[in-house]
Amino acid sequence: MNAIIALSLFGISNLFLGFLNNRKILLPATLVFILIALGLNFADWNHEYYWFNNMLKTNNLSVNFVTIILLSTFLVVAISRSFGDDDEHSHPAEYYAILLFSAVGAIMMVTFENLIMLFVGLEILSVSMYVLTGSDKRSLRSNEAALKYFLMGSFATGILLFGVALVYGATSSFDIHGIAQGVAKAKEQMGGAYGPLLYSGVILIMVGLLFKISAAPFHFWTPDVYDGAPSIFTAFMSTVVKTAGVAATYRILSISFPSVYGLWGNPLVYIVCATLIIGNITAVYQQSFKRMLAYSSISHAGYLLITVLAKRPETNSSLLFYSLAYAIATITAFAVLMVVSEAQAKNGKADESFEALNGLANNNPLLAFSLTISMLSLAGIPLTAGFFGKFFVFSDAFSNPSSLFKWILVIAILMSTVGIYYYFKPIIAAYMKKGEVAKIELSPLYKFILILTTTLTILLGLAPDLVKNIF
Amino acid sequence: MNYQPSDFLPILVQLVAALAFIVATMLATHWLGPKRHSVLKDDAFECGIESVGDARTPISVKYFLVAILFVLFDVEIIFMYPWAVNFMGWVKSTSDVAITMFLEMLVFMGLLLLGFIYVIKKGVLTWEK
Repeated sequence: MNAIIALSLFGISNLFLGFLNNRKILLPATLVFILIALGLNFADWNHEYYWFNNMLKTNNLSVNFVTIILLSTFLVVAISRSFGDDDEHSHPAEYYAILLFSAVGAIMMVTFENLIMLFVGLEILSVSMYVLTGSDKRSLRSNEAALKYFLMGSFATGILLFGVALVYGATSSFDIHGIAQGVAKAKEQMGGAYGPLLYSGVILIMVGLLFKISAAPFHFWTPDVYDGAPSIFTAFMSTVVKTAGVAATYRILSISFPSVYGLWGNPLVYIVCATLIIGNITAVYQQSFKRMLAYSSISHAGYLLITVLAKRPETNSSLLFYSLAYAIATITAFAVLMVVSEAQAKNGKADESFEALNGLANNNPLLAFSLTISMLSLAGIPLTAGFFGKFFVFSDAFSNPSSLFKWILVIAILMSTVGIYYYFKPIIAAYMKKGEVAKIELSPLYKFILILTTTLTILLGLAPDLVKNIF
Repeated sequence: MNYQPSDFLPILVQLVAALAFIVATMLATHWLGPKRHSVLKDDAFECGIESVGDARTPISVKYFLVAILFVLFDVEIIFMYPWAVNFMGWVKSTSDVAITMFLEMLVFMGLLLLGFIYVIKKGVLTWEK
């Protein structure tokens, strides 16, 4: 948990490194900072520690989640290319600092032991993301996205806070284990029923968290915000924020409210189905690759929620594996999208449509191959990490005795098939469509990250037990 | 002490009473008060100086920055008041909570100071640039 303190200090030192007027030093410094935080994180392995007066708690599950979060942050920073070389309009020191600060928020969201820490972590993460979404100050769409995200996000946080207050009213505790005891006591007093305070509190907390992971029907901000934000920050949003959000949702639902499963399980069934159907069907109609990835992130929130809903002992490891597979594949896709859309820019505006990828394989075999593997992984084709992610999630749902899960599975599998259609669009564009993409020069680090993520995706697809045994 | 939601009914009653009072007085003044319009009376009052042009002109972002920084540091200073009020109590208590709280305030002030140095080095407060 010293990672939190270290990352905060590193963020501040990043701000001051910016005064050196040397853009080249920032990227390696930030990468080293994240690696140090990763090392500090592993120090908590195989221990159960309480931190800061029982505000946070680390165990193996949280260490694993933090590892995924820091790994994603590392990959995103590594493909950021120091945010171009426009000294007047881009501020790399501040961007890197904010990325590190938001990683702190994400870590707090996966280790919180007290609902106040959940709120603080969520706010650190969200406020950082509002700023980064609007960081392309001269782009109208970036500004629009930031304003939309800010307005809706602050409402969602307000709803979450309202839920926390009501749950406190019902159980007189902010501590997540204390809430579990309070819920049990309240149930005992009321003879198995639960009062309106607890009911509305749990639902409101759920709404607040589901908004952050963009599950339907709270997903309306996602396409516009993901589309408007600079691609590098969209990559961060769709991996780190989603992982932290799902982890927080799972943590609070599984620790505080397992005894009132019906209360949050019943609405979650509809939310999962709606998320899967809306996310996948709408993605089919997209013309823009970036917007398609936004809808794909909605649909993956649905798959992740299936295993939260299934509430099996294996849910921990399935969530971790799915998040890891999804994060790696998404970052690869965004890495390819970023360089290609910039190379294909028209009138100074990056072209993010599928057509921009036409004929990519002719001159850029590495980019096309990485793109293919990441799309296959997101679609869940065997021999990629995404397949086993889906496999574990679906088998969790299957092993739940309730027959309802068979129907959820039917929807999930049908929607995965729909997913194959739109995930193959970029592959077809890259290999079969006629078009010309000039050879794109990649820095050695960029190439290394592309090869690393592609190899990892294939490796986890061939031998999922490598990490599944750790999780 | 076990409160039921119904115990908070007086708050609701007071809320309704407060809203009703506002609505009633506003409606009453609108109905009862005489209305006399004239060109001079409807003019925007600018300390007796004739108003010129539109208020919606672009204003230098520096004003906004200084204002928001003032608010930021002002709010953070407010955190020190409850700390200071309680500090003598901690000193008198036998446990070493006073040292912990003193160090925590040092950390807080240190972070604040770093932020202030950052602001100065960024040149936010150099007005003529």
